[in-house]
Amino acid sequence: MNEYAVLSIHGIVIVYGLLLMTPVAPQINILKSRYPSTLTKRGQLTAGLAFVCFGGFTVSAHTLWMHNKLSEGASVCSGNSLLNCDGLIGNIAYNTDPLLGQPWGLIGMAAFTALMWLTLTIGKEPLSPQTPLFIRMGLGATIAGLPVIALLVSYEIKEGLICPFCTTAHIANIIALVGFFLLLKLQESDEWAPDIKKTSSRR
Amino acid sequence: MKKSVLTTDWLFLKETIGLMDRKGLGKIGENVKSSSFDLDASARTETGVIVMSMFFVGLLIVAFTTNPVPSGTQAGERAPIFSGEAYDGTSWNSFEFADLLDTSWTWNSTEDSPWIAVEFLDTDCGFCKSSAQEVGQWSEMYTSPQWPGPDVIFIAVAVEFVSESSRAEIVEFRSQYENNFRYVDDLDISIADDWDVAATPTYFLVQPDGIVAWNSGQGSDTLGWDAKEEQSISLNGFDDGRVQLNEAIEQLTRLHEGE
Repeated sequence: MNEYAVLSIHGIVIVYGLLLMTPVAPQINILKSRYPSTLTKRGQLTAGLAFVCFGGFTVSAHTLWMHNKLSEGASVCSGNSLLNCDGLIGNIAYNTDPLLGQPWGLIGMAAFTALMWLTLTIGKEPLSPQTPLFIRMGLGATIAGLPVIALLVSYEIKEGLICPFCTTAHIANIIALVGFFLLLKLQESDEWAPDIKKTSSRR
Repeated sequence: MKKSVLTTDWLFLKETIGLMDRKGLGKIGENVKSSSFDLDASARTETGVIVMSMFFVGLLIVAFTTNPVPSGTQAGERAPIFSGEAYDGTSWNSFEFADLLDTSWTWNSTEDSPWIAVEFLDTDCGFCKSSAQEVGQWSEMYTSPQWPGPDVIFIAVAVEFVSESSRAEIVEFRSQYENNFRYVDDLDISIADDWDVAATPTYFLVQPDGIVAWNSGQGSDTLGWDAKEEQSISLNGFDDGRVQLNEAIEQLTRLHEGE
């Protein structure tokens, strides 16, 4: 299967998550019958974020797979002189993080797993006293991802290459940042949980 | 019976929390209470189980579908790819180490892909000068029809460790010692850094698929890589116990011959 066909699957999940965070969400929401909470603005935001984090996770896992495949000597994504993952993911000078020495794909998987946990927890317990903290943690984590993205983009500029898979993961982080910001704004407003009575947060 | 156990547990917990409060650990006591009785905690645990399952399933898929080889310059590791300008006896041209590799090579390949000997040298280094002629002879010997093993392509990477050097010096050195293989310009020591080379001369023998088979600068120069068994093996130094490049070539490229 062509690598860009696989990339488009990750991309579709992320784009769907992004759309769920926009005003078109009621028209495209396929979850509303199973999860009625996604009919609310809060529900749409958390569902959208969950899709974005899942797409970020899968594309990160794919880059880890590429990292391993390249170490075996295979070529996985080098069809174009500009759009070329092999030259970056396969380059030992850049393909691991400078602090832990772990592949960037693994770092991405761990980061998006943590964001996914925050998102699902916020969705499940919107009135918990910890929810504002979790939203801020998500926002902080995605902001912390920006310097990492800047570092990786600097590698791309240095090598004159663009890694489409890495870029997709970076975009997922930026969309997640926007999502957590919107959640924070919503949580500070009166529209946060009009569907839930305060007492129902304790079962 | 079950109820009484639960009641006892609750009384014990209440006592503990109360004790914590009295000792000025009210916050911790509150947290204990919260984690025991706040059902939000179960939502977090449930979510935690879901996302951790997702993480480990992802890892397992990657683990079962790949067989990663660590990158590096120790025997058994994948050698760093490099590129630069190389002098071939007439002019300086662009050079790609990757072009020499045959990534589909295995020990059982019927195709006779060449192995690669990489020498890091400094044109001002005495040991490099004293061995240069011999290395030149090996480069001819291991590509000659009389050599029964696979061809070995020699590449010299010229660094600048001792004192200031130049391309003119590299050209002169190559010609003085009658070397007929390519000399790559690494006067900025970027390739040497990637290959963890701290002294010259340092020799590497690289399999056709890019795996380092032998590194003279490794902790023990008697350590080689058996491509067939995919494990380290001990090499013999024919004269003084120290393994030279030619000895590594002769032992590793023909390791399982006659089996």
